[in-house]
Amino acid sequence: MRTPGVLGVMLPAVRDGASLNQALDLGYRQVLLERGSLLALVGPLAGAARRGIAIFVNLDAVEGLAPDSAALAFLATDLGFSGVLSVKPHLLKDASRFRLRTIQRIHALDSTGLETGLHSLVSPSPYAIAIAPGVAIPEVMPIIRSITDTPVWGTGFISSAEQAGAVLHAGAALVSSARLEVWREFSRTPVS
Amino acid sequence: MAIRTTVTPARPRAVDGSLSRLLEAFGRVPVAAVIRRGEELPRALASQVPVVFFLRAPAFHLGPLVWAVQARGKLAFVHIDLIAGLGKDRAGIAFLAREIGVNGIITSHSGLVAAARAEKVIAVQRLLLYDDLALPSALSALDHARPDIVEVLPGVIFPLVVNEIRSRLPLPIIVGGFVTEPAHRDAALQRGALAISTSTTELWP
Repeated sequence: MRTPGVLGVMLPAVRDGASLNQALDLGYRQVLLERGSLLALVGPLAGAARRGIAIFVNLDAVEGLAPDSAALAFLATDLGFSGVLSVKPHLLKDASRFRLRTIQRIHALDSTGLETGLHSLVSPSPYAIAIAPGVAIPEVMPIIRSITDTPVWGTGFISSAEQAGAVLHAGAALVSSARLEVWREFSRTPVS
Repeated sequence: MAIRTTVTPARPRAVDGSLSRLLEAFGRVPVAAVIRRGEELPRALASQVPVVFFLRAPAFHLGPLVWAVQARGKLAFVHIDLIAGLGKDRAGIAFLAREIGVNGIITSHSGLVAAARAEKVIAVQRLLLYDDLALPSALSALDHARPDIVEVLPGVIFPLVVNEIRSRLPLPIIVGGFVTEPAHRDAALQRGALAISTSTTELWP
């Protein structure tokens, strides 16, 4: 893939132009579009991607895109985005055909649901699995690692640097937060 | 398929949608046993838990399991979103209420809460906390649906959001999802949960 992947352990979750600019101003080279209308932000996002910023999109939550091949082709070919997140295995399989990195979202709400999600991992293996809520990762990492070695991202309810640190300490490769304070804390830590 | 004509004795009691009976039961023992597989049921029957939640059971073999729970004086709830073979609609709830006689249903869907009310069974609506950005809309949906009880999952998030939930929803709360240790149970109950729901048998008194 010629698009950039992730660097470091913090992925700012943005939802509008203001939060996108805040993340970029802090020096982040990667963002996750987690909410809001992708089409309203298409200009700034495409511009960022052209400058080498890695853009990831949560296909289950953003507005303005159909969950189909035409939307994936637009993200990959027209916009040069780096990857997509979804709970839907068929959508991720399709995304890998467009050479998008695939991040499979798995809800960690109870043991039954988590195990069902982990047993539905797509082939080819996803770039990462995104566990939501990320704050549950310290509790559920043993279950995850008993089933897969895929890198784990934590998303959802990560609202302080302490929580983000605990999730990383539990073995997550990356955390995503929508909080500017958390971005600030992590923008000071050197990229590993 | 277990229907009344093929099972003896016939279902032991009529539909009992009494919320006060549930609240009173949780006042004694604040634990619901979550059953994922039929073989886990005997342990729950022998325990002191007053309430059993069935997840994932095949709908058309559920009757004898539910009746065994009720024969022990316990209340039986069925997760309609997860059980196999049953429509996630009014007819599905009517089947559970009239043919099987469940005490209540568990669902994530606001639309099924009204159907449960129409069938006079207790409605437990799940509040799925996977994303803080989705919380306001989830609370609005619950506020609008007005279930009898809210089940908040996963338990680890409950302390983070308890005040926000309480300020929006004056409803009894059950905390479930990865409630696997006494410390998890105590944290939920100390913060005002009515009960916990857990498949961890060590937490079934």
